[in-house]
Amino acid sequence: MTLVAVAWKYLLGRVMTTALTGLAVALGVALLMATFLLTRGIRDSFTAGTTDYNLIVGAKGSSTQLVMNAIFRIDVPPPNIPYTVFERLTVDTRVEAAVPLLLGDAYAGFRYVATTPLYFQSFPWKRQVLTLADGQFLHDDPPDQPRFEALLGWAVAKQIGLRLGDRFYEGEEMAAFPLTVVGILRPTSGADDRTIFMSLASFWEMNELSREMAVKPLTAVLVRPKRLSDIPILHREYNVLPDTQAVLPSAVLLTVFKLLGIAEEVLHIVLGIVALVVFLYLFVSMYHAALERKREIATMRALGARRTTIFSIIVLESCGITLAGGMVGLLGGYGVAWLGARVIAARGGIALNPMMVTPMHLAVLAGVVLLGALAGLLPALLAYRTEVADNLTPLS
Amino acid sequence: MPHTHAAVALDRVTKSFPLGNRSDLEVLNIADLALPAGSYTVLRGPSGSGKTTLLNLIAGITAPTAGKVWLHGTEIFALSEPDRDRFRAAHVGYIFQTFNLFAAFTALENVMFAMMCTSKLPRHRHRQRAEEILVTLGLRRRLAHKPHQLSRGEQQRVAIARALANDPLVVLADEPCASLDPKTARAVLAEFLTLCREQRRTLLVVSHDEAALTEADRVLDMAAINRLIVASV
Repeated sequence: MTLVAVAWKYLLGRVMTTALTGLAVALGVALLMATFLLTRGIRDSFTAGTTDYNLIVGAKGSSTQLVMNAIFRIDVPPPNIPYTVFERLTVDTRVEAAVPLLLGDAYAGFRYVATTPLYFQSFPWKRQVLTLADGQFLHDDPPDQPRFEALLGWAVAKQIGLRLGDRFYEGEEMAAFPLTVVGILRPTSGADDRTIFMSLASFWEMNELSREMAVKPLTAVLVRPKRLSDIPILHREYNVLPDTQAVLPSAVLLTVFKLLGIAEEVLHIVLGIVALVVFLYLFVSMYHAALERKREIATMRALGARRTTIFSIIVLESCGITLAGGMVGLLGGYGVAWLGARVIAARGGIALNPMMVTPMHLAVLAGVVLLGALAGLLPALLAYRTEVADNLTPLS
Repeated sequence: MPHTHAAVALDRVTKSFPLGNRSDLEVLNIADLALPAGSYTVLRGPSGSGKTTLLNLIAGITAPTAGKVWLHGTEIFALSEPDRDRFRAAHVGYIFQTFNLFAAFTALENVMFAMMCTSKLPRHRHRQRAEEILVTLGLRRRLAHKPHQLSRGEQQRVAIARALANDPLVVLADEPCASLDPKTARAVLAEFLTLCREQRRTLLVVSHDEAALTEADRVLDMAAINRLIVASV
């Protein structure tokens, strides 16, 4: 027999206690991992969404609302800007790419976004490359020839069940303007997964207000300058105009992260308390095990087992519980994070991918095993110091 | 010197236990005791006469307050505790009054644990050796059974197997048949004595059983060797 085999036997010998203690460890680790994966996923989602374009031009008002709505499709759309703003930016020699966006209604909870084919085009500086899973991209409809084509984000197609060629509309008043699915995008782990794209012409025709407007509206224009040195100039120019503001998405991101950071600090305190509770539960479990086993420990010593052997068995048991609980907890953490991501996407509109593998997993496992060793230390010392003769049989 | 020839030798050994009120309770005072190698000695005496304490001293489990204890020429309390543990694992077999089997282990694992405590036999041979002893004691079909699945007699056989697993020089048994019915006690004792005598092990058995007494080379009364009892009479 080996020490590990002996420890394993003792864990099996009190299987209910072992299972419950392991479950407590698993729950603690799952909570820790899920929190890490979700907060990291949210940060990554925000970062990925805001780094392709250096500037967003929209109506004056809340810069956070503009970025949240234009990039992440959350929050209510801000006031509109005239299409002429976009036309001005497209002829600006300092601008490499200007992409118009118009956000409005929704279908089955998925936001309509009108844009041009430039939105889906690949550029060397683009982190997010949009590719097709099926069908084709939108045509760039002339303003008076809308085709009412719809390009679906991956989650839209999956959750609603729309396929190529399907026609749909929201509300009876839209029955005259059904959209036809012409393409479905591959998953992006971003807000685009939950978006229904169409041409600007289609949107303007569908919306009774914009249908009548001489100068068509937009929600925002995403801007990529040719040179980074032009960002401050463009930023200032569009901020001083009476009906526009220019926002640096990275600056808004910093504000969002600051708020996230506060929430994370509170979460860390909660997690710390959970870890302490789990540690105490494990300690009490091992302490009781050592107390109940005094006679067997004394017998082991009487048979010639050294004090360090007894000590090692107890510590191994404690580490065994935390290792098993930790591994289950890691898997459970992924499960909770996956569920949490779905809830966040459905309720908050933030698409994130928490399914990442990082060195932190090994660190968590190592930390949990160390915690197990610490929790088993005092019970192991108790066993180490067991008086043999006193705990064997009654004296005659 | 008695320790150079005897398997077990004690010289001016006393044992006291501290009480809470700064006084000590003296339970043993043995001038000298020697057990020849290969002998079978039965130890008897009234309750509280120090029989188990004497066994524990010889096994090296509890240290004397004064005096020396030798096992096959080794003064065991001159050894460090780890060395004494190793010595005990390799050379002393102990059968407890209530067997003290490990509840979570099978019969085979109970025996293998004792072998784990010493490196006398390579680890890969432990299972085979444990099986051999248990089969010799009639437990071929009980190897995978845990103590609660064994009869009292079978438990006692496992305890014997565990005590003999490391081929000890000295075997100590504290009332080995006290928990058994007379018929089973006789059968188990007979097997035990046969196994030990075949290998010329030195046996010291605490017992009041007639079957144990009749086979003994020598019967020691605690009253004869423990001067505390002599003094109190």
